[in-house]
Amino acid sequence: MKLILASLLFLFAAEGQLADPDQEARAQDLMREIRCVACENEPISNSGSDIAADMRERVRTMIADGASDDEVRDWFSERYGEFVLFRPSSKGFDGLLLWGLPFILLVGGAALILAVRSRKASDANAIKPVPPEDV
Amino acid sequence: MIEAGHFAAILALVFSAVQAFTGLRGNRGQSGLFAQLAFAAMVFAFFTLLWAFARSDFSVQLVAANSHTLKPFVYKLAGTWGNHEGSMALWCVVGLGFGAAGAWLLKSDRPVFEARALGVQGILSLSSLLYLLLASSPFTRLDPAPLQGQGLNPLLQDPALAIHPPMLYLGYVGYSFVFALAAAGLIEKRVDRQWAKTARPWALAAFVPLSLGIALGSYWAYYELGWGGWWFWDPVENASLMPWLIGAALMHSIIVTEKRGSFAAWTSLLAVLAFCFSLLGAFLVRSGVLTSVHAFAVDPLRGSFLLGGLLVLGGSALLLFALRAPKLKGGPDWLATSREGALMGNNLILTVATATVLLGTLFPLIAEAAGQTISVGEPYFNLTFTPIMALALLALPVVQAWAWGKADLSSLWKWAGGFAGLVALFWLAGIGPFDIPLMAGIGLALGVWLIVGAGQEMWRRAKSLGRLPKMPLRVWGMTLAHAGLGLFVIGAVLQTSGRTQTTLALEAGESANIAGWTVTLEDVRSIEGPNWYADRAHLIATKPGTKAELNPQKRYYPAARMPTTETAIHKTGTADLYVALGDGRRAAGGPTRWTFEVFVNPLIDFIYVGVILIGLGGALAMFDRRGSGKVS
Repeated sequence: MKLILASLLFLFAAEGQLADPDQEARAQDLMREIRCVACENEPISNSGSDIAADMRERVRTMIADGASDDEVRDWFSERYGEFVLFRPSSKGFDGLLLWGLPFILLVGGAALILAVRSRKASDANAIKPVPPEDV
Repeated sequence: MIEAGHFAAILALVFSAVQAFTGLRGNRGQSGLFAQLAFAAMVFAFFTLLWAFARSDFSVQLVAANSHTLKPFVYKLAGTWGNHEGSMALWCVVGLGFGAAGAWLLKSDRPVFEARALGVQGILSLSSLLYLLLASSPFTRLDPAPLQGQGLNPLLQDPALAIHPPMLYLGYVGYSFVFALAAAGLIEKRVDRQWAKTARPWALAAFVPLSLGIALGSYWAYYELGWGGWWFWDPVENASLMPWLIGAALMHSIIVTEKRGSFAAWTSLLAVLAFCFSLLGAFLVRSGVLTSVHAFAVDPLRGSFLLGGLLVLGGSALLLFALRAPKLKGGPDWLATSREGALMGNNLILTVATATVLLGTLFPLIAEAAGQTISVGEPYFNLTFTPIMALALLALPVVQAWAWGKADLSSLWKWAGGFAGLVALFWLAGIGPFDIPLMAGIGLALGVWLIVGAGQEMWRRAKSLGRLPKMPLRVWGMTLAHAGLGLFVIGAVLQTSGRTQTTLALEAGESANIAGWTVTLEDVRSIEGPNWYADRAHLIATKPGTKAELNPQKRYYPAARMPTTETAIHKTGTADLYVALGDGRRAAGGPTRWTFEVFVNPLIDFIYVGVILIGLGGALAMFDRRGSGKVS
């Protein structure tokens, strides 16, 4: 709880934005994906803590030096662990499960419904459509 | 006084036990009577708490810990539920209220079914009262009484947050009665068209306040936290989204059961799950198993109590379901391309979306148990939840005209052409000043698609202007809710891809430019309120033809030793200019520079207006007179 309160103090240092608007937009997108390590559940874009300001500064510096988005993410996860990325990795079994399961459920569910329907459905011509007069 | 309240709560517990016993034995009259007696006793108990808060009676431990004499009167009252114990008391009031309302309003020709529903509701009331009295009693005295209270979390001293919990609880606990109706239907082996007709208004009665409660919480987070956003995929937010999604699925599947008698087992499963997800939400929020920006009253012991309750209640309901579901009858045959098929698709997508939220919320916990710490946040949900839901939105206008049994597919190509044209239009136009990329163009097209689709369906049904007022309330409800969904999508897409965020550092007299606005800091002054003091900045923002004054504050509440941000928002009709005041820093010998977070949030009100329309649509459907009585 204290951490939340501390973060609300808004200890923002005045920050220089990148001159190139495309680079600045990329930096801001990344800041929304990187977790502030001193706060409870906030990206560094929102956090007022000093460390978040340092982390924002690092993102901008790396982008200005020509780093790709993945290079920035890797740099942070190497130093602070994967915990720091709000976009979890899709590598390994865990990652595939996390990213794949929603789509597997969707496709599997749809296939199941269609399979059961086609097995059950009697003569399509025998079904009389009933228009919905109400909901 | 508070002892009388404590006694009344124990009395409510006894009455609920009698309600449960007589109800399960099939005595409709007695069970209903005791449901109403239990509610009356609980209202009195809650009133004694309100009274203690109103009079700042610090001999009551809860008041001493959460109130303060300097607090404005409204927030003294709202403080009753601004803490764990008081909010559980509110939970009990609402739960017993639904029992009493059921005793009063249920009028079918199935007294035994009604008695069983009241009996199951009695068990749920009993469980919540046991939890209140044994694990989180608000009725404890403090001796000696302190002269002053410790205050209420200042973040909670806010009108939206004063009514946010009661709204949310009407939704969460409203699903307890839907759960009871489903359990009774399963016990009686009669989840049929008449059952659906009886249960449907109750499912809506929970869905409407839950929608509004979530929107209120989101709006509060928007203007109070100073982060400029409206949804953070925070575990606590996810906890409220899951029952909402299941509730939305239930609202659609129950139509099939009412109109055709199909999906009976699936509908009763959703009715059970909606309340299970409400309990899961309570567990996630109150146990502290997940880190969250607004977890309050975190306590592991209470967590195990809640988890135990969830497992016992949910487990027995699912067991009942497994035993009885195969015995339920189905409706007439249907093809995959039919109204039944379309609503099954809606349900598939909504339940997969719920599973995605559940997975993303619990995955960090599971990984932690395996020795890894990972985070799952906004980027994950944007890439999984959003496209899955988008499928439902894309299909909605096309399939909502489909007939039961078998749909006429001859006009499908017109719809495909219409949507492709819409996307192309948005892409080519680049949406004027906002310069929108392709994905956002698709999103905006989806929003417009939904609104036009809702209107088109209404027109197809009414066929002429003169018949519009005569359309059933349910059809109006559907139209408003689907159009509201469209507005919501437009607002959400623009918020995600069209907003600008800038951090400014200004000294008095200095100006800066942001998104067409020139923002000038006039001065920063110290001001004082009843139980706070603050720095208040005075800014003037100008744009050719417009001028706005903004006064963001940074407040400090000494009683709680805690700062809050009071953002300043100027609405232009098409966007919010949003300013949050940060800290002042003085360079050696120089003037103080103040930092500001400045956002331009285009059409953010569409998000809230959209959800209000969804709630209004649900309310209209609930009050349709055809919703009561017997099936035709």
